[in-house]
Amino acid sequence: MSPVTNLTMPKLGLTMTEGTISEWVVSPGDSFKKNDVVLVVETEKIANEIEAPADGVLHDILVVAGETVAVGTPLANWDVGATAIPEVSAEIEEANATTHEPEKETAAATAFAEVRKNTASGAKSARIVATPLARRIALQNDIDLAGVIASGPKGRIKAEDVRAAIADDASRVTLSCGVAAASPDALPSRRAATSYEAAAARRLSEAKRDTPHFYLSTEADAGALFLLRQQLNSDNENLNISINHLIIAAVARALKENEIANCVWRDGEIVTYGTTDIGMAVSSDKGLFAPVLKDIDRLGIASIAKAARELAEKARTGQLTSDDLIGGSTTISNAGMFDVTYMGSIINPGQSSILGVGSIREIFRPDELGQPELRQEMGLVLSCDHRIFDGVSGLAFLNSIKANIEKPLRLLVS
Amino acid sequence: MADVRYAKAVNMALDDAMAADPAVVLFGEDIAEAGGPFGVTRGLLEKYGDRRVRDTPISEATIVGAAVGAAMSGLKPVVEIMFMDFVTIAMDAMVNQAAKARFMFGGQCSVPLVLRTPHGGGVNAGPQHSQCLEAWFAHIPGLKVVVPSNPSDANRLLKSAIMDPDPVVFVENKAMYSLKGEFDDASETIVIGTAHVARSGDDVTIVSYGAAVNTALQAAETLAPRDISVEVVDLRSIQPWDEATVLASLARTHRLIVLHEAVTAFGVGAEIVARMSDIGFDELDAPIKRVGAPFMPTPFAKSLENQYLPNAKDVIAAVEQVLA
Amino acid sequence: MSPTKSDNSVPISQLLEFYERMLLVREAENRLSKLFADGEVPGFIHLSVGQEAVCVGVTSALETRDTLASNHRGHGHALSKGVELNSFFLEVMGKEEGICGGRGGSMHVADMSVGMLGANGIVGAGIPLAVGSALAHQVQENGAIAVAFFGDGALAEGVLHESFNLAALWKLPILFVCENNGWSEFSPTGRQFNANVRELAGVFGIPSAFVDGDDVLAVNEAASELVTAIRAGEGPYVLECVTHRVRGHFEGDPQKYRAESEINSLPDHDPITKLETIISKRRIPKKEVVAIRGTIEARINAAVEAGRGGNAPDFSRAKADVYTAVEEV
Repeated sequence: MSPVTNLTMPKLGLTMTEGTISEWVVSPGDSFKKNDVVLVVETEKIANEIEAPADGVLHDILVVAGETVAVGTPLANWDVGATAIPEVSAEIEEANATTHEPEKETAAATAFAEVRKNTASGAKSARIVATPLARRIALQNDIDLAGVIASGPKGRIKAEDVRAAIADDASRVTLSCGVAAASPDALPSRRAATSYEAAAARRLSEAKRDTPHFYLSTEADAGALFLLRQQLNSDNENLNISINHLIIAAVARALKENEIANCVWRDGEIVTYGTTDIGMAVSSDKGLFAPVLKDIDRLGIASIAKAARELAEKARTGQLTSDDLIGGSTTISNAGMFDVTYMGSIINPGQSSILGVGSIREIFRPDELGQPELRQEMGLVLSCDHRIFDGVSGLAFLNSIKANIEKPLRLLVS
Repeated sequence: MADVRYAKAVNMALDDAMAADPAVVLFGEDIAEAGGPFGVTRGLLEKYGDRRVRDTPISEATIVGAAVGAAMSGLKPVVEIMFMDFVTIAMDAMVNQAAKARFMFGGQCSVPLVLRTPHGGGVNAGPQHSQCLEAWFAHIPGLKVVVPSNPSDANRLLKSAIMDPDPVVFVENKAMYSLKGEFDDASETIVIGTAHVARSGDDVTIVSYGAAVNTALQAAETLAPRDISVEVVDLRSIQPWDEATVLASLARTHRLIVLHEAVTAFGVGAEIVARMSDIGFDELDAPIKRVGAPFMPTPFAKSLENQYLPNAKDVIAAVEQVLA
Repeated sequence: MSPTKSDNSVPISQLLEFYERMLLVREAENRLSKLFADGEVPGFIHLSVGQEAVCVGVTSALETRDTLASNHRGHGHALSKGVELNSFFLEVMGKEEGICGGRGGSMHVADMSVGMLGANGIVGAGIPLAVGSALAHQVQENGAIAVAFFGDGALAEGVLHESFNLAALWKLPILFVCENNGWSEFSPTGRQFNANVRELAGVFGIPSAFVDGDDVLAVNEAASELVTAIRAGEGPYVLECVTHRVRGHFEGDPQKYRAESEINSLPDHDPITKLETIISKRRIPKKEVVAIRGTIEARINAAVEAGRGGNAPDFSRAKADVYTAVEEV
């Protein structure tokens, strides 16, 4: 019998600091085989199935499903034949090995955190962690802390988070006053954000706050793109190429043509990617994801289509891995299926641009002779990180994309 | 207003107090003929004579014990213990005699003595000549503990300490004796137990005392260009300490750091943190941090001592943590 | 033994006064012993039964302005220096009206108004206090002297040695009185101290005298000479008084460590019995002695009743006395 060890919250991605247990697949006391899924952990945007590293038995569960805990927090104790993995990441260890001052979190503090989690086990909801001042302000303003998005360390709600919630509430009240002021039905209802919503809110707030955005827009004539798609698909029904796949190829080619567009800002440095990776926004039940297509310049259009379809499917079924979400300097957010002309998007954290693609509209434009000509146009809005782009380089990138869309045959030449 | 060195400011306070009150006497090791190991008592023997300014043998326990007896018999003795580390030998006189006489004799007498002693590292004086033991005294009911951070305060607080009817430990700092500071001769007396807001700020309060106040001010200055506004509260005395001023500052900034050179564990900071987490609980928007020396003796080697002493960098790191 | 005046040269009135003062200490302590056994005196008490000739003999040579620092076995020092009997009992019984408000008890009886700087719970700690007090007298040139009472159990304390040195260096007006009862708490002093107090004093250049501490006349005669010399500015003196501790280190100590023969011999050394013998030789009417006994008993009865009638100390008043109240300006 191997010794009982802790199964801790694994670090599943470079930036992961905490995870939510969405499900315990193995029950306490049950044994499992190597590679059996023991539990499912949701991180910022993905669900991860955690597999057993070896045959073993699960003992006590310390953190129940639905709770969010920091990386390295013991989740359960178990017997496993091999060394228990996943291990606490080196990054965490390193963080604990800093100099003596100011007071570091002691073993006692960690133990307390565990006790706190244990105490909450079996409870319907996790204890809300908020500073005393945040609690006082919330009480004075009748704010339910369950609905407040935390920005402090370890998911702690700070005073400014409550103030933000108050401001948010005030705007909602103003809206509802305009609609049905007196009706009790119009009173706002509240619920706690899911871990996905909270994570997305945090990431988007950060991105919008920390990245200096500027926006460039244009229209691209999509007629040739339509025609090409029709021809390709009619040639081979199995190809099933969409406009979106062709736009991906157009952006990929534009990235090759504009090296600056493949750069990102990271901690005061400019990082240039050596590969051409493009994120694509996918909507699912659990929210919006932006998985990244890798090495796309090496793929032909058929392969792009296949890869994009597979990635979208993974996103919709909650099977994305952290690797799927890493990398790329830009993302395509195509809202063409909805009725929108221009869409200015928020740049995904870690990237330097995002292309918002609008619906294709039929519109008369003057031709070379000044006669009206019916065209199919799509509105393009490129959101740029001003730390990377200036107006000239941003426009150059957008114009490359537009040119690739309007002259799509070049997309077939690698 | 002129600049005066810390040691001179203490000397001037002694001079003034002796001129004002014939009951004030000085004694200690090498304070008379030699003018004190740091020159603090220079010139006083010549001015006030060997009845009132006396060299003692190296007998710390009896120096302080005799000061207690003298204070109970009509004098206002100001005794010097050459390094704070040596008060260990005089603890009975301070803790069992001076601190308790008033209380255990039913308020019949007070013990108006001042024990002057320098604490603090930074001069490679090693483990037995660098300690900051002020928390020991602050823990004893009946004693007052004053730790000035600059020449002007040292002068004014020492005069208050000598006039005080109760025993006062007046903690100087050997690394600060040569420090120059603004000195206004006419400035008002300081009531022991009154803190001073040395720098106003909005984002975080740093409470400190003694030389560490200057470390806090340095950190505040460094953080200012980053739009981090730091308030520095100089306690000036740690027993009694100015709870109201600290609480008022916390109520403005909602974040608190306590900084002292002494070892953090069971230190003055622990008391301040405990009180503020009680009476200031609803003001807190971040955990309270302590910055101080690690739990080890003060090392000798320069490189070791540099790492040992809390510095502005440590303070800045703490500020960043409470602002996270 | 230093030579003493012939008993006949001492006025009868002084003999009776010594007798009354020693009897006061003796009967007060005997009563405390009983009150302690009955649970009316809390804490622990250290009795000086058998040593009354020292405190009475020395303090009879002093003036009220002179100061005295005592030790844990200090009831005799306090009462003979002039601490009022009722407030003494009130204190030892832990009452608000006690001389120290019930804060100190037996080990901390003090009365600044009669120069009693306090009994002391720390062995040897009173000695430097007396040195400091002597310094104050010297600086203020007030003609007063200080007295340090200590037992032979304090001889091994460093502050005693330091104090001898400092007093000698500064020629302070102080009389060091060693009550040598042979016992350092539960151990014979021969096992505790490898010298004797007069040799030690001599090393520091302090002259000393040695008397039978059970003979109040001898103690008083020696003390008076030394006090006169000290007051004249001759610097410190040591007076060693060999005496006998009848009770244990503290009340309740069964003294298993003492030989039966020693305990049986204690009545032979009783200073009060010795003085009674002298008095009877001087043909003083017995009724005077009886009257004194009656007076003392009545005073002690009254003091015990006063003690019983005292109030429990007020906590907030006690707490307010940790520091001197500073008047709001």
